Amino acid sequence: MDLTYLPIEGKSRAYRTMVAILGIMVAALVISFLVYYLKGMQVWGISNAIPWGQLITLDIYFIGLSAGAIVVSGLSYVFRREEYKPIGRIAIYLGLLIFIGAMVCVLVDLGRLEKFWRLFMYGYLNNMTSMFAINSIWYGGYIILMLVYLWLALENKIRLAMIVGTIDVLWAIGVHTFTGEIFGLVGAREILHSPIKPFEFIAAALTSGTALLIIVVVAAFKFSNRYIDKKVVLSLGRLLSMIIIVLFVMVFFDKLTHIYVPQRQGTVFLFTGPYWWLFWIFQIGMGIVIPLIILFHPKAGKSIKGVVIASISVAIGVLGERAAVIIPGTANVQQLYPGNIEGVWGTPGIFLITFWETALALGVVGLVTLLFVLGLKYLPLLPAGAKGEESKPAEATASESEADSRLHQGNNLYEA
Amino acid sequence: MSKQMARWGMVIDLDKCVGCQACTVACKEENNVPHGSPEEQMRRREPYWNRVIAVSEGKYPTQRVEFIPMPCMHCDDAPCVTVCPAKATYHRHDGIVEQNFRRCIGCRYCMVACPYGVRNFNFKDQVKKEYLRPDLPPTRADREPWPFPQRIRGVVEKCTFCFHRIDKGLKEGKKIGIDVVPACVEACPTKARVFGDLDDSNSEVSLLLAVRGGFRLREELGTHPKVYYLHS
Repeated sequence: MDLTYLPIEGKSRAYRTMVAILGIMVAALVISFLVYYLKGMQVWGISNAIPWGQLITLDIYFIGLSAGAIVVSGLSYVFRREEYKPIGRIAIYLGLLIFIGAMVCVLVDLGRLEKFWRLFMYGYLNNMTSMFAINSIWYGGYIILMLVYLWLALENKIRLAMIVGTIDVLWAIGVHTFTGEIFGLVGAREILHSPIKPFEFIAAALTSGTALLIIVVVAAFKFSNRYIDKKVVLSLGRLLSMIIIVLFVMVFFDKLTHIYVPQRQGTVFLFTGPYWWLFWIFQIGMGIVIPLIILFHPKAGKSIKGVVIASISVAIGVLGERAAVIIPGTANVQQLYPGNIEGVWGTPGIFLITFWETALALGVVGLVTLLFVLGLKYLPLLPAGAKGEESKPAEATASESEADSRLHQGNNLYEA
Repeated sequence: MSKQMARWGMVIDLDKCVGCQACTVACKEENNVPHGSPEEQMRRREPYWNRVIAVSEGKYPTQRVEFIPMPCMHCDDAPCVTVCPAKATYHRHDGIVEQNFRRCIGCRYCMVACPYGVRNFNFKDQVKKEYLRPDLPPTRADREPWPFPQRIRGVVEKCTFCFHRIDKGLKEGKKIGIDVVPACVEACPTKARVFGDLDDSNSEVSLLLAVRGGFRLREELGTHPKVYYLHS
């Protein structure tokens, strides 16, 4: 199957409105960043009890989405499954953009972000036993690999893309394993401390990544009036249901291990404490139960609508799962001394959703979406339509092919 | 040379502690740690380098309350030192877990990793009226040598065992633990706190531990804190 990829025209009213709204969100990102940088983190909801808030939640969520998208792109470029070919490029591009968003989150979350370069002074000015320092290798390499992978995919260098793609898929799994280890290795916090955490994170990454890819692919193909085979979406839906089951097994045994032993205070806090809804409604309800019911429903599971609704549920549920790791994980009062700690030191941490922190988080989402929407216009990411179906969709005009050839010339210049 | 090999530690007698918080205030004064508003206190944003928690057990007629003063435990195997990516937290040669504000990037990983919750983040630029001694500037130029003359927003802070006092005392040839002690030890009205060299078998801390035994908080985590508690 040979596919021609064409950028979308991007001249419609809806497209322009969308870019304008996203531009406002990016402006919100800049303003809320300035406010927080000038006033300090007092404008956020974090405290000494809950040191990590919305930005870190979004950060690990994004890293997971990116890893998931890259692994799914591997179905097309590494395993050479023809039916996934139409979504190969868009998966890589999505993976790259979301990861850039994740890096923006983690940089902005630093108290003194002008000193971030310390993370990259391997062994000399940084401490290589820290998961953050180790992750600076994983994250840095991941961005470079994704850039090369995307370039090779856009250039249609399939053999090289397969080699780089294989490395990148493995690297993406490594990235998320070690992101899970940031939490799994913390022995002081019962909810976080778990040897299974990295694998749980990978499973969550694959579910959310696949779900987001389904949403984005269906939306992008729908709004650009391109043709996509229903079978692609349905098979992604089946893939999604399988990974959700894996995720459920991971979560089940993680929590079982923690609740079975007498030292179960932390897990009981997660289940019944003030943040129970993050676990039960988001992580279990929206992340696992609802999508499984939809995907295994004989009718809904066979329709694109059903699969998309299940995917939206997963995407929100996994975001809640990430919040259920970070916020109750640190809000839980540590058992310093046998007995009941009185006063403020014995109260679970309170996390307030504040305006500036939310604006910053939404701004990062806006930035990623804006880059994605612009990418659809300036890069040939979507197939024009499978050969044998319609040779060319109606709106493929001369200007588009011009843009396409301009881009290829640009790439050729790089080669020369 | 023997002085350099010292391993500073603290012994706190819970039988003597009355929960007066004199240590907390003395620490704030010594290190010029600002006091926060009641709202900041409720939201756990006020920095405390030393705090005293009250732990109760049982019901009213037979209820028992313990006061546990909690400075930084200065663990021998400190999780915060392991997780700090920027080498901002490290062990000094005498075992004190140090926090260097100039290196700290403010990632707050150490706060997540600390089993005792003794680390504080600096959420804002401090204003003068918030200090316990507003007559003294935040720069400690007029006082004893202190390596970080300025409080910086966006970094993590914690108890230092008043190492500036120790260093100055050693230079002047004074006896640490007798003539020179951290501010919280000095301020304790019931002499519940004792400071000294854990490796010196003649120091008061060693003698107390030998005679009365002692326990440490969350020993099961294997962090080997250097703050011991005595309890009858």
